Amino acid sequence: MNRNEASKPSIMLFCVLLATLLPVAQLNAEDNMTADEILRTLTETMNPEQSRGIMTMTIVTSTGQQRTFKYETFSKGQGQKSLMKYLEPNRVKGQTILMLNDANDIWTYFPKTKRIRKLATHAKKQKVEGSDFSYEDMGASNTFIEEYDAVRLKDENKEGRLCYKMELTRKPKSTAGYSRVVMWADKEQFVPLAIDYYHDDDPALCEKQLICKDVRLIDKIYTPFKCIMYNRLDNTQTSIEIIEVKYDVDLPDDLFTEMGMQR
Amino acid sequence: MKNMILTFIVLLLSTTAYAQVADIFGYYEPQYNGIYFKDHYYQLLSNKLRVDLKSSAIAHTEIGADIIFLLYHGKTDWNILDFLPEVISSTIPPELQELYEFAYDDTFYLDNVYARFAFDRLAFTLGKQQLSLGTGYFTNPTDIFNTKDALDPTYEQPGHNGLRIDFLPTNRLSIMALYSPISADFRNSGMLLRTKLGLGHFDLSLLVSQSQYTITDFYTFEAKEQRRRMLGADIVGEIVGVGVWAEGMYSFLEEDDDLYEFLLGTDYTFENGLYTMLEYHHNSLGESNHENYDLNDWMRFFVGETKTIPRDQAYGLVTYPLTDMLIIGTSIIVGVSEWSTAVVPMIQYSLFQNVELTLMGNIYIGEEGTAYSSKLGNGAFLRAVIYF
Repeated sequence: MNRNEASKPSIMLFCVLLATLLPVAQLNAEDNMTADEILRTLTETMNPEQSRGIMTMTIVTSTGQQRTFKYETFSKGQGQKSLMKYLEPNRVKGQTILMLNDANDIWTYFPKTKRIRKLATHAKKQKVEGSDFSYEDMGASNTFIEEYDAVRLKDENKEGRLCYKMELTRKPKSTAGYSRVVMWADKEQFVPLAIDYYHDDDPALCEKQLICKDVRLIDKIYTPFKCIMYNRLDNTQTSIEIIEVKYDVDLPDDLFTEMGMQR
Repeated sequence: MKNMILTFIVLLLSTTAYAQVADIFGYYEPQYNGIYFKDHYYQLLSNKLRVDLKSSAIAHTEIGADIIFLLYHGKTDWNILDFLPEVISSTIPPELQELYEFAYDDTFYLDNVYARFAFDRLAFTLGKQQLSLGTGYFTNPTDIFNTKDALDPTYEQPGHNGLRIDFLPTNRLSIMALYSPISADFRNSGMLLRTKLGLGHFDLSLLVSQSQYTITDFYTFEAKEQRRRMLGADIVGEIVGVGVWAEGMYSFLEEDDDLYEFLLGTDYTFENGLYTMLEYHHNSLGESNHENYDLNDWMRFFVGETKTIPRDQAYGLVTYPLTDMLIIGTSIIVGVSEWSTAVVPMIQYSLFQNVELTLMGNIYIGEEGTAYSSKLGNGAFLRAVIYF
């Protein structure tokens, strides 16, 4: 039995690192910006109108086993629509994930059985292909604005760069997967360089930490080419590296449909 | 067969020469089956090789094909009567019993071969192709082409000849038309029209189809063929975060009584990764009382003419990722009216990047004469899939 098709179809999606973390346009940072302004600007610029890229995801388990996936990603509408298609390994080649409406609607396509399956939102908090990224980590472009209250803390150096530091606390009625998030964003490039994610039930317990590095300017957008998610509870890590990315693209709307998944 | 092999090898070699425009991939799947049946332990081994070719070298065109080699060893000859309740098998005269024998023979065949012509919102697929209909997991009432094995429901299905047209008027509205010449005459061939519409977080499909319907009398081995017209629908979505789906069909038979089936399903994934699923399936062709099961009920189920023996079945599935590479789980199939049950424990392990191991058991715990009677024997298989 292919269990992936049952519960969280063996999805290797990651398209939305672009949406949540990666591409960030350069801004004129101002020291008097509030946390909400920083977050809004960061979110707006983190989600380019369109993008197309090829990336690798490498999972390292607690026992040192490694699995590497390569996939192509497409996004449009500032992260509202995204599609990920696995290129390697052959075990999952051709599997595709389509996320619409800020990842509130997710479909997966399995070329081996030619079957498309729609996932309910409960799957959003699950690991993507055993990685340390959840669908929610990767698919929700506006989560930080809509689901959290933000407070600006004292600026700090992180990864050798001067950063805005912000604390985000989950809103009372939110169903977001983390109780609290602490973020460091480069003041000059407006790239998030580190994010600490705190446990759903314990705001004092840091569950995961994301580190982004190797920032390059692509089509006038600062883009970290490598991000590593460390899972502090499971002692595992997942890194995502961009092989190539373009923002100056014109993607057709019908790419983000069931027919587009099967191309 | 030799010609087919030669053709395929030539195709492979020529494709290799133009590897930049074609992909060759597939998998090798050895499987060991152990069956404990009537106080004997039997083993059946299979070696399956699937080789796929796919090319998109021509604009708007994808050409795909796969060929399957299957070799069997061990206990390959069986008689279905051995699995039936004594009260039924004893009614078959000895001279007719060999008619119920079957064997796992080595085989080699072109499973799929198709060309797909895709434009922005329109696609034509011509040839032998996989078809998948419905939202159900364990079974699909609207799928007139395939019959899933509820013990292993996600295993790939064979290809079917046909011409399929997909049209996408809007991003959340699609129309699929299919003509499948599965009968000798046009009148009873498969024709299907499906409209799929996105409504909020739901996907709704409505379909009408016509196909040949075969029902066999296994006392006389006379097959009766007639036209079936079917209305079907399925829906999938979620309610307060819980996944829900439904699928149903109503069939008008040319000569016999109408048939209907429906399925209801729900699933949920807990934050620790525990995945749970329930499905309920009603099949009007099934029997509501296991004491009424006759030879035809059993045989029609074995050959795929009906999807269940009991009229009502419930399915459950639980899986849990023990580690990032190891998944454990169990599915349960329950004949509701008779309370016979099949338990299917499963372990799936990612051994290497392109190597997966699956260990799956089947334990029947029903009374004699029920659909999942303990008399059917118990077993397990170990399957490795090596992708290339």
